Amino acid sequence: MATLDNANPTILSASQLPTRQQRIPLRTGPDLRYNDIIFEKPSYLSRPFCDAQVASWPRTDASDGPLAAEPIDEQEIYDLISTISDPEHPVSLGQLSVINLPDIRITPAPHTPGVGPNTIITVLVEVTPTITHCSLATVIGLGVRVRLEQCLPPNYRIVVRCKENSHSQDDQVNKQLGDKERVAAALENDTLKGVLDKMLETCA
Amino acid sequence: MPSTHIQPLPPLTPDLHERAWSSTPHPTLPLLATAHAKSVTVFSLTTLTPHSNLTGGHTRSVRAASWKPNLPPHKLCLATGSFDSTAGIWRWEDRGAEHETEIRNGRDGNEKEEEDDWEFTLVLEGHDSEIKNCIFSPSGAHIATCSRDKSVWIWEDIGASESDDDWETIAVLNEHEGDVKALAWCPELPGRSRKGTFGVECLASASYDNTVRVWREDGDAEWVCVAVLEKHEGTVWGVQWEGRPRKGDKFPRILSFSADGTIRIWTLAQPSNEDGQEDGAAQGRNALGGIPNTMRQSLREDWVCTATLPKVHESDIYAATWSATTGLVASTGSDGTLALYRENEETGEWSLLESLPNAHGPYEVNHVSWCRRWDKGVDPSRRGVEEMLITTGDDGLVKPWGVQA
Repeated sequence: MATLDNANPTILSASQLPTRQQRIPLRTGPDLRYNDIIFEKPSYLSRPFCDAQVASWPRTDASDGPLAAEPIDEQEIYDLISTISDPEHPVSLGQLSVINLPDIRITPAPHTPGVGPNTIITVLVEVTPTITHCSLATVIGLGVRVRLEQCLPPNYRIVVRCKENSHSQDDQVNKQLGDKERVAAALENDTLKGVLDKMLETCA
Repeated sequence: MPSTHIQPLPPLTPDLHERAWSSTPHPTLPLLATAHAKSVTVFSLTTLTPHSNLTGGHTRSVRAASWKPNLPPHKLCLATGSFDSTAGIWRWEDRGAEHETEIRNGRDGNEKEEEDDWEFTLVLEGHDSEIKNCIFSPSGAHIATCSRDKSVWIWEDIGASESDDDWETIAVLNEHEGDVKALAWCPELPGRSRKGTFGVECLASASYDNTVRVWREDGDAEWVCVAVLEKHEGTVWGVQWEGRPRKGDKFPRILSFSADGTIRIWTLAQPSNEDGQEDGAAQGRNALGGIPNTMRQSLREDWVCTATLPKVHESDIYAATWSATTGLVASTGSDGTLALYRENEETGEWSLLESLPNAHGPYEVNHVSWCRRWDKGVDPSRRGVEEMLITTGDDGLVKPWGVQA
């Protein structure tokens, strides 16, 4: 590229980027060995004596154990897309603050009861282009959408938008990024596909 | 709501394992053309298995396919529109019939290519970017194509005979301000011709610019935009014409569906005196984009949004289909829900009969179409008569649905 749209962007260091808080590891030592017995639901809370589900009673079935799949949360989405490279700088979208954790929203929220594999989950990502006239806003948005479509299960719908007032033509960019047919056709354009592949190379 | 109106039927096999865009039923034969990746798979609706494949004609995805109407049953012709900016014309002939001819002509019929019965006979070039839709007119004499380049092209058959594929561009319509997503020709119904003013053919186009436009051929054989339908607040993904004749042979209505999650019905305001064209002249300037063309002003049609269907979809409605037999409407889209609506013919109000979530599991559904049933599951006396719905999804499945209203 002959001239850069933004020749001198602000770059964050890796330690300034959001990461998952180190969780206190779940204890799986011998003191949990008798959980099944200690926490077993007493028979008087079982049918036919009691129809109600006792919500507060700790459940011991295997699917709730520490190895069960965690629902996808905002931090996980952030981790998937913040490592995408900027199309014109050799740094990541996270470091350029194009992708920011508070600008990622999942609906319904992770851990919402009743969410099954067929529940449509919307992931909204608002990107903040480094400068308001950045002509690469569409390419960046496309990279985010493509990355998430490749990684997330089919019940996820990805909405990528420019953060309000961050881009002079954000309505146009938003409409393009929301158009499935345009996105599909763009991915068959070899030049554009080459740019996207390069951006996504840095994703783990 | 009890799931009584829509029942799943066994899916067509095999699974295509990739996004399929649309499935178009043949107007009379038990065949269905499904566009996916760079090819089209033709399914037999009798066996629910593939009949033939159209491959090798396009360098990018095929977005839509359209059957040429009014051909003898042993001849098939499809037009395809592709993201490679071209449209293709394909022909297929029943090997049996051809073989007989060859024998009669005293030639050796052994050099037949077993596999590839479809012949890619012509490429229509002209669009600058992806073709989104391509469709034969009801007579088969015209093809309309539309593209991301914002234009609609109308092509006319000037071939000397049926097998001579020679098509000429007769109109390039440039008035849309965004991608033209879909097209629909008005069906051949008694109400279609308005005396004097226009040719019989009438085309509707849906666009990324949130509008629908109606196009007709004027007395000088020029295609002109006669109306702009503006109410949608998002990309209009497509249009459908009413296929059932209306009382008093009124002009067929238009149905449009959009990324704004709404489905609208539009009705042509027909003056009792059809010669009273002057009424619309004052507003004509505005509707035709400020073109001060006195000739065009008199060609304006007044289309009014007369109904909005009950809201079901929260996001893009990618497809809707209006039955020419029952008048029922079905819609589907990004949310994967298949919805069925009925009009109260007395009051003109639309009610929701059923809304079936996850028609293709977690996947988006790209297309829905009414289609005749020909499979063994239907009573022989109802074969080719009874209607079903066909949905086409991102999961590569083509699913039939039985409907009881």
